[in-house]
Parts: sequence; structure tokens; C-alpha cells
Amino acid sequence: MMLTAPGAGIIILFAWLSPSNALYFHIGETEKKCFIEEIPDETMVIGKYRTQLWDKQMGSFLQATPGLGMHVEIKDPDTKIILSRQYGSDGRFTFTSHTPGEHQICLHSNSTKMALFAGGKLRVHLDIQVGEHTNNYPEIAAKDKLTELQLRARQLLDQVEQIQKEQNYQQYREERFRMTSESTNQHVLWWSIAQTLILIVTGIWQLKHLKSFFEAKKLV
Amino acid sequence: MCSYHGTIRLFVQVLWAHLLCGWAFGSELTFELPDNAKQCFYEDITVGTKCTLEFQVVTGGHYDVDCRLEDADGTVLYKEMKKQYDSFTFTAAKNGTYKFCFSNEFSTFTHKTVYFDFQVGEDPPLFPNENRVTALTQMESACVSIHEALKSVIDYQTHFRLREGQGRSRAEDLNTRVAFWSIGEAFILLVVSISQVVLLRSFFSDRKTTTTRVGS
Repeated sequence: MMLTAPGAGIIILFAWLSPSNALYFHIGETEKKCFIEEIPDETMVIGKYRTQLWDKQMGSFLQATPGLGMHVEIKDPDTKIILSRQYGSDGRFTFTSHTPGEHQICLHSNSTKMALFAGGKLRVHLDIQVGEHTNNYPEIAAKDKLTELQLRARQLLDQVEQIQKEQNYQQYREERFRMTSESTNQHVLWWSIAQTLILIVTGIWQLKHLKSFFEAKKLV
Repeated sequence: MCSYHGTIRLFVQVLWAHLLCGWAFGSELTFELPDNAKQCFYEDITVGTKCTLEFQVVTGGHYDVDCRLEDADGTVLYKEMKKQYDSFTFTAAKNGTYKFCFSNEFSTFTHKTVYFDFQVGEDPPLFPNENRVTALTQMESACVSIHEALKSVIDYQTHFRLREGQGRSRAEDLNTRVAFWSIGEAFILLVVSISQVVLLRSFFSDRKTTTTRVGS
């Protein structure tokens, strides 16, 4: 049963908005929360968040607070900043990795209005989707006019592609691990030899030096 | 009449999609837990939903963390201290906000990186089929089972990657430590042997006032 175009359009609209049932956590006023995503290269990451401010008078969290902003900063594995932007109280950020490794996604609130609410507590609903989870299948079905079977095949293809990318990343990591172990091995080998040589050489030098010293002092 | 029926159908489709998106959810996050810190996450779950919480400590200290899962009324469903990796499945018995916390309060100076995967409910179907009366064809059910198998492959890959990350960070630590201490020790060796000789010489040096000459 294919999706009607307007139906798909509205679903896309709903998908754009922050999910109402996302996982949430509490963050302090100036607190910075960072999340790490270890991903292969050319992987798309979509993050959606929604914030709610604690209202002391009402004793509950407000539904939406205008003027409240979150600063999102994303760093790549070489600690280079690839995204540093201010978003509103509801936001959606997306990036594609160009190098494999640990990317860091940091969020912190920078609203000055928080200072007015003493003991400000912020509730942040967060949803981060990586790789093939970022694909919106109803949207793809409507756009490419796929039948159900074609859509399922597309989903399987995307999954397999993600597995392949992860395997490539695994190969790259294993190589780095091997290089580190080899480097440790070399260090241990050469520095042990060097230290033994230093020990012998300084021992001989000490004896020779002291012998000539005591002979000069006519003690020997 | 046609357009009215179409609109209703459209509305039902959209509502179905939105409801499904609302009920089935999964979050997978890796975050840093500083020493003496506790981090809690909350999620609203409806009764009867099957949920799974899996966590693994990626880096830091002895790779252990305290984990605690409470239901909407505060009843502790799961509590483990100093666990490295675990998986817990439960069916929500009540509606409400479930809370799970990771604590590193027992550690004084090591901060940990913790990965967790909290799956709530089943994945939503590929797209809403509001008149799914017939059973899946063989092709479709084959696709479904391949999809499930690939999902578990991806899951295994994630856990393998985390374990390998652990091993790799230990190896890198070892490498830096070996390099640092080897150079340090060689330096200390030289310094000590030279200062021994210098010190010994100073015991026998000719002083103007106090000199103890052996055999004088």
C-alpha cells in the first residue's frame, strides 16, 4: 500500500519536529554536556533536541520557552570544530563525518534569562540518530515511488552499507592498535638496551675516574 | 465526498505514523561521567512496553560503573554496583517516567566514558499500513528476518568496537608510560652516577681549615 504524497508530506513535517517521547536529562545553567559518537567516515548524524525550563512558581516544566537557546558544538576526531552554532529552544543539527573516529557533540545553554530563574534547571530531550537510522523511509518511498518490497530492499541495502563502513573503520582501528603495540615493543627493546649500556658505561667511568682520583690523592 | 474520504484517510495515516513514532523509541548515547558524579536519564514509557537497557564502560579506571533503574513510583527494578557491562530487559508494568542513573561516586580521580542503549518497544514498521489484513508474503517475511539479523550484526559490531576501544586505549596508555619512564630512567641513571662521583670526590677534597688526611 503506497503512501499518498500529502500524507508523506505531513509525516515528514512531524518527523522534523522534535520527538515528544525522547530520552531526557537535566542540565544546570552553565553546565556543558558532551556526547561521544564513534563513527566511520561519510556517516550522517542527525540530532534533535527540545528544551523545557523549570518554572519555580508553577513547580513544573514549561512547555516551550522562547528566548532560550542552546549552543551546539561538534568536534571531529582531530579536535577541530566542524559545527558551532546557536539554536533556539528546539533545534535540529546535522553533520556528516569526513574522518572516521570519535566525534564529540557538546551542548550548553547560553541563555541569560536563566539567571533570572534562581536555581535554574533545564530539561533537555535529546535524540541522536546515526547512519542508516537517519533515513526516513516513508519520505524515501514517497519521493522515489517505491513499492513495499522495494522499500524493504532499500532498507536492507542501507543496513549492509553501514555494516561495511563499520568493518572498514574496524580495519583502520586495528591497524592503529597494531602500530601502537609495535611502537611499545620498539620502545621497550631499544630503551632497555640503551639503559643497560648507560649503566655499564657509567659504572666503568665511575671506577676509572675514582681510581685516577685516589691515585692522584696518593691514597691508593 | 471523495476528497472528504481522502482527507480522513490521510489524517488516519498521519496519526498512525505519529503514534507509532511516539511509542517505539531507542536511544544510544556515549557520554563522559566525571569522578564523583552521577548522571540520570529519564524516559516516559507506557504500560506493557518491552524495554531493554544495555550499558558498557568504554574507558576509565577499572572500567566499572554503578547503574540503577527505577520505575515511575521509584521502585528499583535493577541495581548493580561496579559493573563493566550488562543488559537488562523488562516489561513496563506502569505508565510514567522511568529513570536510570549511572554513578561514578566511588571513584576519586578517574572519569569514565559510558555507553548505553535504551530500547523502548519495537521498531516502527517501515511505513504505516492501515489496512494490513493479509499476512506478509514470503519475500516480505524473508526481508523482515534479514532485517532482524542485520540489526543484531550491527549490535555485535558496536559491542566489539567498544571492547576494541578499551584494549586500544590501554595500549596507548602503556606506550606513553613506557616512553616517558624509559627516558626518565635513563636521565636519572646518568644524574645519579655523576652525582655519586662528585659527592665522593667532595669527601676527599682539600679544604683550608678542616682536612683529615689519612696517614698524616
